[in-house]
Amino acid sequence: MKQWLYVGLVVGLVPIQTTLLEHASVAGIRPDVCLIAVSLIGFFGGPADGVMMGLLLGFEQDLFSAGELGLNLGTKAVIGLLAGMVGRYVAHATPASVVPVMLGLSVCSGLAFVMAGAGGGETLAAVQSVLLPQAVFDTTVGMGLYWLLAERFKKDDSLVS
Amino acid sequence: MFRSTSGTRRVLLALCALLLSLVFVLPKQSRTLLQAVGKPLADVVALPLDALSAADRRIVDLWNSYVALRNVQEENQQLRREIEFLRGQAADLREMAAANQRLGELLRFQARTPSQSVAARVVGRDSSNWYQGVVLDKGERDGIRPEMGVMTLTGAVGRVVKSSGSSSVVLLLTDPNNAVTALVQRTRDEGIIEGTLGGKARMKYIPLLSTVRIGDPVVTSGLTGGFPKGVPVGTITGIQKDEGDLFQTAEVQTEVDFTKLEEVLVVTVPRGGEEPATAPPAEKKKP
Repeated sequence: MKQWLYVGLVVGLVPIQTTLLEHASVAGIRPDVCLIAVSLIGFFGGPADGVMMGLLLGFEQDLFSAGELGLNLGTKAVIGLLAGMVGRYVAHATPASVVPVMLGLSVCSGLAFVMAGAGGGETLAAVQSVLLPQAVFDTTVGMGLYWLLAERFKKDDSLVS
Repeated sequence: MFRSTSGTRRVLLALCALLLSLVFVLPKQSRTLLQAVGKPLADVVALPLDALSAADRRIVDLWNSYVALRNVQEENQQLRREIEFLRGQAADLREMAAANQRLGELLRFQARTPSQSVAARVVGRDSSNWYQGVVLDKGERDGIRPEMGVMTLTGAVGRVVKSSGSSSVVLLLTDPNNAVTALVQRTRDEGIIEGTLGGKARMKYIPLLSTVRIGDPVVTSGLTGGFPKGVPVGTITGIQKDEGDLFQTAEVQTEVDFTKLEEVLVVTVPRGGEEPATAPPAEKKKP
């Protein structure tokens, strides 16, 4: 089941991100569903799954982004690893405890983009207008998804390798 | 039964027998008599008959109405389904007609311009929030390469930054990482168009002595960026000239509404035609 879920995410997530999520944007900011997915996969499935899916989804995202090739690949892989490590050492995760993790991961990802020059040199403006709103958006959606998925995957451990 | 009959009953039985005898023996006369006797009786019986008949009609009507309503309801549902289907078809046809018109205009514009271009559809937005880009449905198989200019019949859109076999990514003019050389059409002063984080555009490096003013149109210079010369970029809406600066900076309202991009032209060979006097007008919709 896990393999099929991963295949489905690889096939479907980036097209959803580039097309459908435009309708879910708030003030031009969309949730980064690839980041959220990689975080949750790492959290539930462990660091190895997190890194692997981070690489795949990040690379795919790079192909459909105007940014440097490898930027998403690198950040998503690191996010998957960090989420996996956090998930491994957190005994009783709750949606509330996921908030700082998701927020931190999204902020780290955003900082990587700012440092790569994505904001065109307007660092403060980039942080205010993109980084922070996206971190809040990602955290909100991620927490909701965690709440939906937590019971399902904690019970049968189908994502735990 | 007969044992218990009284005298009256015997009389009645005798009258009945006489009546029957008259009917059989004298049929015409007996009918006249029967009619005369039967009229008041008929009037009396008619009252409950009418009542029952009315009740019966009502019940039958109710039944028929119920059955008919059931049929009407089914017919209604079927008609509703047909209406929904036809509405969907009408919407599809309207969308196709609109797309057809846009593509027609694009092709006519493509034929008018001296440069060679490939028409493509916008199929998505940049996969991250950090870049203002769009994804096109055509790529290297159609001759699209990085650094090619992208435009619509309204004006310049951006430049291709990535291309794969069947898709390509375009960085819009409003992205801070984009830079396209342009000139103010009236004064012929050159500058560089770049985007801002707010999704707007500005023209940098306008000479300090330039007489540029609000309302001046800005067009591509044709020097870099994969565009032919003279493609409309936008209109100057504000000028920033600080003391001590070597150049002026102007805010530019782009001609293209980047939120409504659907079809674009990718300039494959921007060979240098003369700058058109005005922006090419869009074809008016015929009534």
